[in-house]
Amino acid sequence: MTSSFLSIRNLRKSYGEVVAVDGVSLEIPRGEFLTFLGPSGSGKSTTLYAVAGFDEITSGDILLEDRSILGVPPNRRNIGMVFQRYTLFPHLTVAENVAFPLRVRGQDRTTVKKRVDEMLALVRLSNFADRMPAQLSGGQQQRVALARALAYDPPVLLMDEPLSALDKKLRDEIQIEIRRIHQETGVTILYVTHDQEEALRLSDRIAVFNHGRIEQIGTGEDLYTKPATRFVAEFIGDSNFFEVATVASQSDGRARATLPDGTVMDGLVTHRATSRSERFELMVRPQWLSVVNEGGKGIRVTVNDVTYLGDSSSALLETSWGQAIWLKGPAAALRGLTAGQTVMVGWDFAKSELFEI
Amino acid sequence: MALSSDRNFRLALPALVFLLLFFIVPVLALLLRSVMEPEWGFQNYAELFTTNTYARVMFNTFMVAGLVTLISLLLGYPVAWLLAIMPRGLANIVFSIILLSMWTNLLARTYAWMVLLQRTGIINKTLLSLGLITNPLPLINNLIGVTIGMVYIMLPFIILPLHATMRAIDPVILQASALCGAGKWQAFTRVLLPLSLTGAIAGALMVFVMSLGYFVTPALLGGTSNMMLAEMIAQLVQSLLNWGLGGAAAFVLLSVTMLLYAFQVRFFSGYADIR
Amino acid sequence: MLLNYNQLGSLKYVLLGITGVICLFLLLPVIFIILLSFGSSQWMIFPPPGWTLRWYGELFDDPRWFEAAFTSFKLGLMVTVLSVILGFFASYALIRGRFAGRGFLRALFMTPMVMPVVVVAVALYAMFLRVGLSGTWLGFVIAHTILAFPFAVIAISNSLERFDKAIEDAAILCGASHLEAIWRITLPSIRLGILSAALFSFLASWDEVVVAIFMASPTLQTLPVRIWGALRQDLTPVIAAASSLLVILTLVLMAIAASLQKVLNR
Repeated sequence: MTSSFLSIRNLRKSYGEVVAVDGVSLEIPRGEFLTFLGPSGSGKSTTLYAVAGFDEITSGDILLEDRSILGVPPNRRNIGMVFQRYTLFPHLTVAENVAFPLRVRGQDRTTVKKRVDEMLALVRLSNFADRMPAQLSGGQQQRVALARALAYDPPVLLMDEPLSALDKKLRDEIQIEIRRIHQETGVTILYVTHDQEEALRLSDRIAVFNHGRIEQIGTGEDLYTKPATRFVAEFIGDSNFFEVATVASQSDGRARATLPDGTVMDGLVTHRATSRSERFELMVRPQWLSVVNEGGKGIRVTVNDVTYLGDSSSALLETSWGQAIWLKGPAAALRGLTAGQTVMVGWDFAKSELFEI
Repeated sequence: MALSSDRNFRLALPALVFLLLFFIVPVLALLLRSVMEPEWGFQNYAELFTTNTYARVMFNTFMVAGLVTLISLLLGYPVAWLLAIMPRGLANIVFSIILLSMWTNLLARTYAWMVLLQRTGIINKTLLSLGLITNPLPLINNLIGVTIGMVYIMLPFIILPLHATMRAIDPVILQASALCGAGKWQAFTRVLLPLSLTGAIAGALMVFVMSLGYFVTPALLGGTSNMMLAEMIAQLVQSLLNWGLGGAAAFVLLSVTMLLYAFQVRFFSGYADIR
Repeated sequence: MLLNYNQLGSLKYVLLGITGVICLFLLLPVIFIILLSFGSSQWMIFPPPGWTLRWYGELFDDPRWFEAAFTSFKLGLMVTVLSVILGFFASYALIRGRFAGRGFLRALFMTPMVMPVVVVAVALYAMFLRVGLSGTWLGFVIAHTILAFPFAVIAISNSLERFDKAIEDAAILCGASHLEAIWRITLPSIRLGILSAALFSFLASWDEVVVAIFMASPTLQTLPVRIWGALRQDLTPVIAAASSLLVILTLVLMAIAASLQKVLNR
């Protein structure tokens, strides 16, 4: 087995009865930007903190460049971290903050000064060197935190939802900065967020966490086009889950599904779940639906509401079996639709997949 | 996210050991002596409660403490009331005066009263010159002087928490009672008094407990014939070297104090967080 | 309407009157002492026949008073140092620790403040007699530290609670050991709380009478002990002078403490 730069092997962390991380394994190549994506309580932060070294893990191993770092205390792991909360040292200036890890390592004044200047230039805050943290905005504080974390050239940079306290516009700006810094420095980044858009924007790969396990790991495109579980399908991108009346297996391993209104679909890919409930739902993204002519392939729906969103519109539809679903498309295409109307909507049946619930 | 929480417990160890060694152990040792000296048994306690002199002291202590609490409550209530509703500027002045008297050194304050209450002191002189009395009143070296001095010390301890309680009462409630037809007296007895009662009781408990154990003021303003508990303990131990009896008296004081404190914490905590 | 200042009617004047009298009652003795210290009557006749600085002169000339003041000061400093150090570690354990029994530990730490002082004094006196610490500097420091400690814990705990632990953790990740992080980052950040703790600890010792009486010896007397002794013998105005100085010093320190609290609560 080829060894990766950073390896997490079967990590388990439980607090008494509660299992926070349940067997997480990851192989991360050098320089990758990997995001842990998931809802709160899914174990993504706990995994991150295990890499940082703040909590003792129950079992498993973490290897950096082939050596286990489990026994190494957090201050020796040489890992950089940016927290969700503002953690600049309040009594030191911006420059002194960035210099702190270098001072602790006993580096001499000239080296430290040079490096601090470099780092502040990297995050584009050179003019703020002598300011105090209290004088900085939230976004600026996080950029200084980033400079401080990178000052000692760590092999791995951990980021725990660093932008969630900022407003949207600022978040978007700093996301671009983070991406640029990643490209300039080539540092391996583990990033935690619950915002799928952020994950898609920033990452090389995304690991989707749920209940302490990784449900799927892949590029954003992988996760969007080929979700492995219902959770991933729902978490990344928009999705509708149609009720399915019956499902029958076919000889090629795929399935035939019948919707409650009688529509039959063949050759569907199925994703099984651990529940083994034998009940399925059909995943259809709102963007795949479009209004088709009468007699076309599709299902009959009643329009409940149409919302204009600028470059697109979304329509709330009700199926003949009473389920509410969404349709999203260019505003022009949906212009004629009004509430109360009955239309046929269709999609490329081959794209939709069955998910066991 | 914690860095080994039990390591953090170890940080408390020095203080814990320090307190155990130099606080818990000595107090327990003293209490032990009360049942050990001169011999095993509860004779000291028996002596304490049955001997006239000692019983008298305890009676005096509780009586004075009760009196001081009552007077402080009666005098302090209107002040707390006004303080809670006064305009800011005036309130700050009153506040400053109260705080000033609290922070002034205890000995200095007691000394002031020693001088004021003398037979030739200013109070007697004023009363004489006004013709209210014909002979100077004995205001010192007796329980009257002690009571006056203690009320002086304890007033701020009633006023401050009580005013906080009153501040917390929404004035709208009293407006409502007026609308319902209640006159001033009724509004007071049926609304304001009950609502402020918990704060008053909390403050009163605290003052009572403090007065029971007070040493300096009763010792200086009282006479040797009407000693209070704290001074008696000191004398038993320092002058008479009667550790058994002294320990017993200390234990009585301690248990009453802790009991009342526990009672207050259980039922009134949050009302008198002044110390 | 009873809680509305402007709607009290005639009741307002009754309350104002009582409050005025009480304020006078509270204020006068303090002013009285200060005035007495400048009065020329040896028997403290008030109003004094004349004014003089004689008593202050006597106070400063008498080496025993100065010695007592110096002893109080030295003791206060030592107690402050010990109390703040013990208090810091205890507070850290209480605030950052996650062990069971934290509430109980906190209550225990507060007990010296709650117990009647005379009991503490007598208990320590008994123990120190046995181990030979009675009338020694060490005994005195220990005794006063016990009393000052709860104040230090309260002041430092307050500050520490407001200090985000994540900042300390960030320092550790930057490479500092836990102790280094506390020393270089946590302590400077809570310096106001530590200063408060120091101030209150000092005052607790400086003003303390009862325990001091038991811990003192003829050669080891704090200022309150000296005043106490003088008060039991005679009432010369020199005591008024000493008391006035005590009052002023305490007031200055308290004013500093109050403004610190205001800054802290900003």
